Amino acid sequence: MSKVATLTAWVVISLCLVTLITLPVNMQTQLVASVLVVTFMALIKLLDAGGKWRLVALAFGSAMVLRYVYWRTTSTLPPVNQPENFIPGFLLYLAEMYSVVMLGLSLFVVAMPLPPRPSRSATPGKYPKVDVFVPSYNEDADLLANTLAAAKGMDYPAEKLTVWLLDDGATLQKRNSTNLVDAQRAAARHRELQKLCEDLGVRYLTRDRNEHAKAGNLNNGMLNSNGELIAVFDADHAPARDFLFETVGYFEDDPRLFLVQTPHFFLNPDPLERNLRTFEKMPSENEMFYGIIQRGLDKWNAAFFCGSAAVLRRKALEDTSGFSGLSITEDCETALALHGRGWNSVYVDRPLIAGLQPATFASFIGQRSRWAQGMMQILMFRFPLLKGGLSIPQRLCYMSSTLFWLFPFSRTIFLFAPLFYLFFDLQIFTASGGEFLAYTLVYMLVNLTMQNYLYGAFRWPWISELYEYAQTVHLLPAVVSVLLNPRKPTFKVTAKDESVLESRLSEISRPFFVIFAVLLIATALAIYRVYTEPYKADITLVVGGWNLLNLIMAGCALGVVSERGEKAASRRVKVSRRCEFSFGEQTYPATIENVSAHGARVQVYGLPTDELLIDVKGKIRFQPYSGDGTFETLPVKIRNVETEGDLTIVGCRYLPEVARHHSLVADLIFANSQQWSEFQRMRRGNPGLVRGTLWFLWLALYQMSRGLIYFFRSIKTEGGASR
Amino acid sequence: MKRALALLMAFLAGSPAAAQPSPFDMSGERPAELRAAPPLEAAPQRRDAQPSSDSPEADALRPAAEPFRRFILPFPTLSLAGEADERAWSIYLTPAQAQAGRKLTFAYQNAIVVAPEASVLSVLVNGKLVGEGAVQAADEPHERSYDIPPGLLRTGENEIRFRAGHRHRTDCTIQSTYELWTEIASESAFITFEGEEPRALSAIEDIQAVGTNETGRTQFNIVAPALEQPSRVPMLMRLAQGVALLGRMPSQSFVFSRAMPDLGKPGELTILAGTATELQPLLPSLPAEAATGTIAAFAETGTAHAPVLVLSGPNWTAVAAAIETITAATERPSNIPRDVIQTERWRLPQTPLVFSGKSLRFSDLGVATREFSGRRFRTALQVAIPSDFYADAYGEAAILLDAGYTEAVRPGSRIDIYVNGNIATTVALEASAGGILRHLPINVTLRHFRPGANLIELEAVLLTEADKMCSPGMAASSEPRFALFDTSEFAMPDFARIARRPDLAATSGSAYPYRGSADPVALFIDRTDADTLSAAGTFIAKLAVAGGRPMQIESIADPLVADGRQALFIGAMPQLPTMVLTQAGIDTVSQASWGSAKDVAQGRNTQTALDEWQTRLKGGGWRSAIVDFESWLKENFDISLNSLRLIPEAETPFVPPEAATLLVAQSANPAENATWTVVAAPSPALLREGVAAIADTSRWSDVSGHIAVYDPVDDKVSATPARRFSLVETQPPSFWNYRLIAANWLSTNILFYAVLLVSLAVVLGLATAVLLGKLGRRT
Repeated sequence: MSKVATLTAWVVISLCLVTLITLPVNMQTQLVASVLVVTFMALIKLLDAGGKWRLVALAFGSAMVLRYVYWRTTSTLPPVNQPENFIPGFLLYLAEMYSVVMLGLSLFVVAMPLPPRPSRSATPGKYPKVDVFVPSYNEDADLLANTLAAAKGMDYPAEKLTVWLLDDGATLQKRNSTNLVDAQRAAARHRELQKLCEDLGVRYLTRDRNEHAKAGNLNNGMLNSNGELIAVFDADHAPARDFLFETVGYFEDDPRLFLVQTPHFFLNPDPLERNLRTFEKMPSENEMFYGIIQRGLDKWNAAFFCGSAAVLRRKALEDTSGFSGLSITEDCETALALHGRGWNSVYVDRPLIAGLQPATFASFIGQRSRWAQGMMQILMFRFPLLKGGLSIPQRLCYMSSTLFWLFPFSRTIFLFAPLFYLFFDLQIFTASGGEFLAYTLVYMLVNLTMQNYLYGAFRWPWISELYEYAQTVHLLPAVVSVLLNPRKPTFKVTAKDESVLESRLSEISRPFFVIFAVLLIATALAIYRVYTEPYKADITLVVGGWNLLNLIMAGCALGVVSERGEKAASRRVKVSRRCEFSFGEQTYPATIENVSAHGARVQVYGLPTDELLIDVKGKIRFQPYSGDGTFETLPVKIRNVETEGDLTIVGCRYLPEVARHHSLVADLIFANSQQWSEFQRMRRGNPGLVRGTLWFLWLALYQMSRGLIYFFRSIKTEGGASR
Repeated sequence: MKRALALLMAFLAGSPAAAQPSPFDMSGERPAELRAAPPLEAAPQRRDAQPSSDSPEADALRPAAEPFRRFILPFPTLSLAGEADERAWSIYLTPAQAQAGRKLTFAYQNAIVVAPEASVLSVLVNGKLVGEGAVQAADEPHERSYDIPPGLLRTGENEIRFRAGHRHRTDCTIQSTYELWTEIASESAFITFEGEEPRALSAIEDIQAVGTNETGRTQFNIVAPALEQPSRVPMLMRLAQGVALLGRMPSQSFVFSRAMPDLGKPGELTILAGTATELQPLLPSLPAEAATGTIAAFAETGTAHAPVLVLSGPNWTAVAAAIETITAATERPSNIPRDVIQTERWRLPQTPLVFSGKSLRFSDLGVATREFSGRRFRTALQVAIPSDFYADAYGEAAILLDAGYTEAVRPGSRIDIYVNGNIATTVALEASAGGILRHLPINVTLRHFRPGANLIELEAVLLTEADKMCSPGMAASSEPRFALFDTSEFAMPDFARIARRPDLAATSGSAYPYRGSADPVALFIDRTDADTLSAAGTFIAKLAVAGGRPMQIESIADPLVADGRQALFIGAMPQLPTMVLTQAGIDTVSQASWGSAKDVAQGRNTQTALDEWQTRLKGGGWRSAIVDFESWLKENFDISLNSLRLIPEAETPFVPPEAATLLVAQSANPAENATWTVVAAPSPALLREGVAAIADTSRWSDVSGHIAVYDPVDDKVSATPARRFSLVETQPPSFWNYRLIAANWLSTNILFYAVLLVSLAVVLGLATAVLLGKLGRRT
């Protein structure tokens, strides 16, 4: 009852505010109100007031955004009888309104994210039986070995844990392919993986036909297993040892719980982070999703399945006949179906798996295309707003998650809108310079402040815009195609084991340079027009400023598509673990500094350097977390040596010979989830709006020049090659 | 012809009988009953009194049989300026006048830079061209006289239209178009009639044909032998209103007297109002019927066919009934709004009154489709708004413009909209290849709108390459560059409607709140002398014209009696009760001192002195920084620090400036349930002159705000805005109206809006926190 009363009071207050906001007051009033509101917002932010004051600041922001919406709707649309202005003008209006709706939905989702849950360990003695599914399509054995070994090495009673490799790369259909090479490859893979599984003590499962892609593969796994819970890990997502202990306990508390999702933590940077060199200091792109949004969704019981790093209840899945495979994002679709049937989900905000993400820009785009298309399919096939069984907050949450992927449209419109004026002199936004200042500029400022307020520590200013722009260029055709042909997209596995060995332009970089050139010309034209047409300089300045913003974004994106070469094939993880390094007959005290999927860097004390030779075999002896306390040995090969006083730093490559060696490698890399949290915490810092913006400007300038250098270099080589 | 008196009688119906023309009487103070010899100088206008000797009429003086003329300009001078200008209005003609109108004569003079070969001045009567010719009177006024085709004039309203097209001799700049003008003096423009019948007025409705004098003004002389009796004041005021509503001329004044004035002057009408016994000495031939029954009819004095209107009867009740025959004809219900404001006597067409969201086509507003080949196109239209208009701070109307321009028009050209002479908006014409604008919305701020008729001018400034070069003869090119189509519209949105108290603009615009007062309006006149009564008559008649209907008046002798009723206090300052002045916010010290021309420095206004000191001290310290900031705000964002107050500034008692001769102040009554308007001057004579001056439409519309004063030296009305006012509901309660009222109020008290927004947002934020604490998962 008090809930209803509070809600009613809230609605009444909101209506009052909306009435006040929709008063057609004059521009002076708007200006004074904006100055006051922005001052208050800045004050709250400077005082770093949280809790209630955070919501007050958001209410301030929302009020100004609504003022903008009201003004934009009532005073700025070009007249309908000027179709050349009205049509682009109205598209721009729709794009802006889309952004506002998305802002509204995100405000709802993250208004009060659940604080990270305290650790809920499984009750000893009441461990449910768990099947671990590792679906694979084309990942190679080394990668799978690490993942499977890590899965097998999780702390959990062995009799309650079954790890399954669900191999879709060696199905009967593939082995009997009419293409001889493919058939031979599939057969070889079949043999190799069967052997690996046998060594690791893991069940190998494949099927006859590759039906329904990943969802079909998982369903096949379900048919062949009987555990109460099912944990799913992508082939490149290796779990930490405490993964199951930290997750299965929740199923005890709530019999209607179908999902415990944990964040995806990546050991390697995505192409943007790699090319912009921000991986070490700036929070990753997905941290906004896993750090805030999933927590926000969790408040509304709408945290959804992200395909991996999650535990699901078999009984729930059986309720919907397994994983749904109508869309190519089976994970979210499955969660939607189960939420719709009254099952609950929980999100645990602690990285418990570590994985890889696409290394090249092209495969990054490929992955995002799949997400975008899949979410569009869900939007079209399962329209969450009207789906029965969902609570109203859940509907809004799913709408927020799916509608998000329409951003390529709005980004494209924002990108090209200024050009209508600069190139064709079309008036698609009717406002004076003063009104722009009082409404649009305030709106943008308030919007940025709110973003910073909501996601400050997880997303630095302008980074969302950069990511969206970088994806838009290639995502727009993908989203358009799925809208035209909803059933056409098929599941494609994202390649994550690629590496860029030498610096080059991405193979899909050309459109970025074309757009950059167009925007550059538009900027030049804007400057020219300010001088030649002084009577409308104010409008030209405003539009030119907007175009300049686009140009900065496009310039920064040139750096994004200029792939930096990397020496190391895979990312290194700091570990600091005591060990012994043996070389020949001698054993030396040592510390493992960092590790990667392929090798480790070891600090050795008192090693006679003169005897060391490249490619000579050695051994690392350490105490695995997963074992019974005894030291175990991992064979390695020395790749390089550096000396620093008494310390010698040895870079070595693993030479796993038996399955146990894979487990040891997994133990080195994945065993300790605490270190991942620490790494994330280290990157999380809010630079603030001003500092963040300045930093971004500098970054954009630098990346633009780097992109251009790569571009001219590539022309030279091409020219050279053609000669 | 020599009949002493031809009395045309009407009992209550006021039906006309026959008119008898008689010679003019210009014989000064001679009583009307004396027969006059035909005067030597019979021109209806006193030409010899005018300094200008080059007027054509100077030669036209003939000893006898001077044909009857009527002046046609409703203003002292008609000025047609710019490259294309026109002005149209209507005059009322009696049946005899419509029959006998023969010639339209006027004298014009133009700027020396006007190129005669390319400039034309045309005159149209009832839409038909009666004559046109080159504009070539640069040195001295030239007379033009055109025959009026028979049958063109009609009984009743006749449209007169002057149209000028000017081209500059040498220059092609925009600036040069401001040097182009043609002027016609009122005294030189008239219609000449044949015969003597047109002089006479016969029916009551012929009052409309009263016309103007040589300066474009109209005067009603009310002869009431017993005017000093206060009990008669209300009826006399009714009479003034009725006559004024029939006349509807832009500048009407009333002169009350006991004795007969000069008769037969143009633009004047003499009305005798009194019992038969009282009038007998003034008009010996008063018909016998007056002694027995009500009589309201035109009579002719012996001389010059000069008509006088006689309103008489055996007793005052009968006279009152006679007055009502005139006034009742102009009566209209107070609760039914007017469709139009009658402005036709000085500007056609009638001005439509817009109450809420409404679109008006230019063709209905008197703007025709026109092609234009010059550089500065200007056209005007009028729209009236009601007295409870309250959207000046936030509102915007729109002009949906249908226009075209050729590729010759260069970017940088623009369209400016002016409202009541203030620039309201500017739109650039940008397409370099010409363009056709179809319902292009141009937002026009409502800031300069005021109750009553509003003049909206549309000006297109057209730049071309050809004008830049300005080769000889180029200025005269008739290749059209711009066209305005009459399908354009003026669109008024729904606007907030609530009355303010005080608000002189609403009073001058549409007689608010007197027009709709259910009780009779209380009129306080301390001394009923002729001057004070004249001023009251002129003022109340002007109110009646503004409101479009006559009001019931009741005399009061004590301001306390007025409580709870809309009241007017008219009198010389020393005669007015101090309590009324205090209530109206007038400094009571000035009651005695005003007009006694003391040392100017003594009566110095503190505020002006303070402002001066502030400017003097400018140039250092934080105070000047504030002043700088304030002027910067004002300049760039049109925000004054005054509008950023939460509590309005206190109003200091108003000290009328020494140079002023008339003051109109408005305030609430002590009980704050009615409006008091004070009209005061240093002396009764100044009061009469001052009210007559501000009753001219050109000055009347400047009467606004809390207090307005008239300065005869500058011939200007200056207004002091009301800092504090209360809102008076005029409409049935509705959410949408309240919303718009709030918008306007908050747009003037802008800090309130900001504070309200911030407070509500804080409350919402806290409420959201509580709500989120109750909804969804919590830990």
